[in-house]
Amino acid sequence: MKDIRGFIHRKLWDQVPLAISIIDRDFRIVEANRSFSDTYGRWRNRRCYQVYKGLHEHCARCAAVETFADGRIRVKEEAGRLPDGKRIDYLVHMVPIVRSNGEIAYVIEMSTDITATKVLEREKLEAERLAVVGQTVAGLAHGIKNVLMGLDGGVYVVRSGMQKGDSERILQGWQMVEENIARISSFAKEFLEFARGHTPRVQPIDPNRVAAKVVELFVEKARLAGISLRAKLGPGVSCAMMDEEGIHTCLVNLVSNALDACEISDKPGRKVVLGTHERAGKLVFEVSDDGTGMDYEVKKRVFTNFFSTKASGKGTGLGLLTTRKIVQEHGGTVSFRSTRGHGSIFRLVFARSRLPRPAEEADQPGND
Amino acid sequence: MTNERKRKILILDDEPAVVTYLETLLKDNGYDTVCAGDGKVGMDKAKIDRPDLVCLDITMPRRSGIRFYRDLRADPDLKSIPVVVVTAVTGYGGDPESFKKFLSSRKRVPPPEGFVAKPIDREEFIAILRRLLS
Repeated sequence: MKDIRGFIHRKLWDQVPLAISIIDRDFRIVEANRSFSDTYGRWRNRRCYQVYKGLHEHCARCAAVETFADGRIRVKEEAGRLPDGKRIDYLVHMVPIVRSNGEIAYVIEMSTDITATKVLEREKLEAERLAVVGQTVAGLAHGIKNVLMGLDGGVYVVRSGMQKGDSERILQGWQMVEENIARISSFAKEFLEFARGHTPRVQPIDPNRVAAKVVELFVEKARLAGISLRAKLGPGVSCAMMDEEGIHTCLVNLVSNALDACEISDKPGRKVVLGTHERAGKLVFEVSDDGTGMDYEVKKRVFTNFFSTKASGKGTGLGLLTTRKIVQEHGGTVSFRSTRGHGSIFRLVFARSRLPRPAEEADQPGND
Repeated sequence: MTNERKRKILILDDEPAVVTYLETLLKDNGYDTVCAGDGKVGMDKAKIDRPDLVCLDITMPRRSGIRFYRDLRADPDLKSIPVVVVTAVTGYGGDPESFKKFLSSRKRVPPPEGFVAKPIDREEFIAILRRLLS
């Protein structure tokens, strides 16, 4: 039995497809298996952060520190550097080795190489982003055609007024020309912003604070329109690695749409609620309204470029598209439910495990 | 001008600039006009004013042009009014024929009589109206 155990231990230690190392409280690697040596190279007399990431001190938000402190097993996705300088993504399990007196002297780090999966994930996100940009370019034609129609119409009305000596008509036509020049300028600006995007500045943010700021931004406008706007912030929502400006933009778009849907509804006591909650590792923002809701035709085209049901000059139709783009950049999803005459709920769902890492951590060589 | 009754055209479009444009163009060509900014008001006006023809935009708030078209065709009193779709929508296959097919597919209604893409060619547009109203 002892032989079998010894054999299993040796086999498991050196032949499992996991890079295993054992670190002490100084993060020094005291033991490692063959897979670890094959992957990360020389490890004796070195510390885990030097071997995994080429850092000079332990990582910010180090999971090993937390496991040493509370003895709990942790699973975390990390990115490091191999001896040849290539990036490696790995899923690491931190398991404490607890002595009989309760002291945690060592932590076992077992890491699985998930680089291929992460590459596929990034490629999928990039493909989705390109598809959205492609659709947008096609949709731009639709927006421009409408503006062209307005410009052409303005020119016609001016000419018609001149032929008839009707100064009121000339003025009317000229206003059409001016309005449509302003519209195409706004289109061009929004489209460029959409196509170019901005580099997300990922940092720990408080989702509830962002939601509260958005509600604060619109509360007066809502009050004047006779709409109740309130925040329903989940107490268990903790900080998340997100681009604050991007999330703010998404929530502004959703709340603005919800208020517009209420404004054109005839119902009394209209309300919009921006809520947050967290469940099963997923952070959720939810914007609900009891406005007009959408019929089948509108629902089909919600994420179509330049599609807007708003009055002329009120919307370019890029809001939800931009929202979807930002959410996808965070590895999240946008969904909605809507019933004509009853209202709509838009939901942004972010799996914490898919949230991006801070730009400086992910991009610098030798650093995560 | 003859003593003949002027033909009345209902213009449905949510863009005020487009409405002003078409209204001016049609009046310059001897037609009377009635205007509406969405499908719901448009249907009310169709019932009251009994236009000889409808110029219909597709993307409109409240009730879209598609829904207006199907409702119009379902109304025994209004179903014979010719409709010219005036739109910038290029989806549903991207050409007028597949668009007309799409419009008539679900409720098995006949396709619209005319289709003009925005921005319109004025001569072609007026020629279509003249043909349909002759």
